[in-house]
Amino acid sequence: MKRIFVGSILLILAASLWGCGRRAAEVVVYTSEDQVFSEPILKDFEKETGIQVKAVYDTEESKSTGAMNRLLAEKDNPQADVYWANEPVRAEILRQRGISAQYVSPNAKGIPDNFKNPEGQWTGFSARARILLVKKSLTEKPRSILSYTEPRWKGRVVIANPLFGTTTAEIAALFIVWGDNKTKTFLDAMKRNQIRISTSNGESADLVASGEFDFALVDSDDGVSRMKQGKPVEVVFPDQDKADVGSFIVPNAVVFIKGAPHPDNAKKLIDYLLSKETERKLAFAECAQIPLHPGVETPPVVRRIETIKTMKVDYAEVAKKMQEIQPVLKTWVGY
Amino acid sequence: MAKRIVLSSVLAVLIVAGLLPVLAMGVKSIIVDGRFSLENYKALLTLGRAQTLISHSVALSLLTTFFATIIGLPLGILFGKTDLPFGKLLIVLFAIPLLIPPYITAISWFYILGREGVIGRWLGPSLAELTSKWLFGLPGCVLILFSTFLPIVILLTVTYLKTINPRLEEAGRLVSDWPGVMRSITIPLILPGVLLAVMLVFLLSLGEFSVPSFLRYNVFPVESFTQFSAFLNFSAATVAAIPLAIVTFFVLALESYFLREKTYQVRPVHGTSFTERIQLGRNRNWLFALSALLCFVIVILPSLVLIVQSLSVNAYSLAIAKAGDSLIRSLLYAAVGASVLTVIGFLSGYLVQTRALPFWQTTDSLTIFLFALPSTVIGIGLISLWNRPWTNFIYATPVIIIIGYVAQYAAISSRITVSMLTQIPPSMEEAAQVAGAGWFRRMALIVAPLAKRGLMAAWLVGFIFCVRDTGISMIVYPPGLDTLPVRTFTLMANAPAGLTSALCVIMICAALVPVGILTAAFKARML
Repeated sequence: MKRIFVGSILLILAASLWGCGRRAAEVVVYTSEDQVFSEPILKDFEKETGIQVKAVYDTEESKSTGAMNRLLAEKDNPQADVYWANEPVRAEILRQRGISAQYVSPNAKGIPDNFKNPEGQWTGFSARARILLVKKSLTEKPRSILSYTEPRWKGRVVIANPLFGTTTAEIAALFIVWGDNKTKTFLDAMKRNQIRISTSNGESADLVASGEFDFALVDSDDGVSRMKQGKPVEVVFPDQDKADVGSFIVPNAVVFIKGAPHPDNAKKLIDYLLSKETERKLAFAECAQIPLHPGVETPPVVRRIETIKTMKVDYAEVAKKMQEIQPVLKTWVGY
Repeated sequence: MAKRIVLSSVLAVLIVAGLLPVLAMGVKSIIVDGRFSLENYKALLTLGRAQTLISHSVALSLLTTFFATIIGLPLGILFGKTDLPFGKLLIVLFAIPLLIPPYITAISWFYILGREGVIGRWLGPSLAELTSKWLFGLPGCVLILFSTFLPIVILLTVTYLKTINPRLEEAGRLVSDWPGVMRSITIPLILPGVLLAVMLVFLLSLGEFSVPSFLRYNVFPVESFTQFSAFLNFSAATVAAIPLAIVTFFVLALESYFLREKTYQVRPVHGTSFTERIQLGRNRNWLFALSALLCFVIVILPSLVLIVQSLSVNAYSLAIAKAGDSLIRSLLYAAVGASVLTVIGFLSGYLVQTRALPFWQTTDSLTIFLFALPSTVIGIGLISLWNRPWTNFIYATPVIIIIGYVAQYAAISSRITVSMLTQIPPSMEEAAQVAGAGWFRRMALIVAPLAKRGLMAAWLVGFIFCVRDTGISMIVYPPGLDTLPVRTFTLMANAPAGLTSALCVIMICAALVPVGILTAAFKARML
């Protein structure tokens, strides 16, 4: 008993000292980019700079309660230096709640302005595009998200639950670009067309890949991964004609946390993430992300940003709109 | 005086580790924009889906409890009371799913029943479509939680069978056959243990998050998580956990009223030379085959699928490269957590068993309540309470994980200690007291040595629960210091199936190998 007690105390002390012994050359990053993609980049940063990276990982797919909630809960005593968000809306929410700080990285130069916060509260890089993943065997393929409402696709199309993730952001963007009336009419028409609601973009992609549905609006990495798996599907960038709204782009976003314990190292990490080299690595990784810097080398499956007609929206407005349309979406889903 | 101070400190530790974080969350749920408001509670009551969530949560818990009981009770009797061959081996095998995080069992079933799983490859996509629909819903959740919690019923049945005085059954056998004796004597005598198992399975199923979340079946714990993660609404998340808290209170009240006195009396019978076992005769073979088949389906098959999936050249080296450090941390945290839990559990168990102070029942109820509470609420509560500049030495270090373990799992070590202490005659401690030994000396030289086996069992069980913990660790682990279940969970997203499977197999080994070695070492020392 005595030995157990003494042993416990010693182990706790050891564990405390282990955790407390923070090295000066370290940076704490919270990230919602999937660990399989973000970890190699962070390891490379460690190797190149000698700065130890301590990370808290999260995953969008499992909707786990991770990095973002911690940042909110830790507002008054921040532990993180940098937040690497896998989409800009979370970064924008942090700005609105006073958790982000200003930092304009020299490496942000060249990234189009619509993918950056004008005050430097967050900066976008390596993006996903919202695309239509389409069954290869279709003779006539959908070319617009409005195809969701066409009678010929009735009961044969699927979309991820719009209460979560990038689908919510895209619908909020449509509310901004099209206006409330047109978007609500679009949502109603989708429902009348007996659209199937899946739990995630990944599931939507699988449903099309297995041939159960004809097409789905998903993220470009979901589409590319199914193509790499040899599934009979192809990617269509929707609404690319001159008069169309274009594809909704979802960049990663990096945020400098207000009150960061290691501000200098945080800036070095932000610079590293925003570099062309990081964008190149993420383009060649399994996530196949689209570089936002011009002239970055990409594999054949990744389209260059300058060749895509992108939806022009202000992500700050999208973030606000997302909160605003929650009741509409909840009713639409039957939540 | 010393006794009063130490035992009061145990309650204080439990309050600080578990109750205060929960209260912190409770306070947050009634403060909206800095003002008192019951808006979140109103929203819960008027939530369109509230009825669905209630029916889903209750259906999942009831069905899991039902199947675990009607299958676990006969199995427990077969293994503990009959001459069924390989009974001990089967007990160990059936216990495996309880030792690993339930979401790992869910992953392995996904590899079997999912759209592109084993069934799909062997029997065609149309059947796989059907099994996938079945898996991603109530039946799949029930299957996985049933296989996870079945060992609770089996183990408690076997344990309580050992408490029956064989003379009672022998007397019964004079006037009746075994079925009659079982009906009239054995089962009524083990009923408190079975009901305790029923309560535990019900509460654990009710609070389980990872499996319904993975299989996309909406229950209250998933709603609570969704409120945290998707809507970033801490208050609404706490409110979503309130129905669970109410049901837990209700079940605890029932236990307190009907069972408490009986479930404490787990006293294996000693001094009897012979415990009669039921001779199964010609039924022996088919009953063994049936038990072995069930074991194969719910334990061996899912494990085999993971092993087969992971058998690629690089999977294990990649898994070790990506999660080797997490594995070491998991073992270290679990060892520390189990040691602290053993000490806390020993003292709180002593308090409960001896009723040394008036708040013994409060202590017992608090541990069970915290055990049944969703880890999300405890985790976020710990952040709310401990994340302050002057408590960084706790919050920014693994100590916060250990506090989480103490909050969630103290009930287990406490109950094990209670069971062990009931077997020690109070006269031992009393004699030492009469001889002038103080309380510390009595505890250190009389009670603890006599309860050594129980303490070791408490340490082992505590270790298992800590090493498999996902919920608490995921929410509070300090940056860069995650555990293996957390690393596996975050690496799962978009990782190759081989890597995920290899991580799951390593996770299973991380739980089983140390337990096997330590059990063997403990047994060797005892002999």
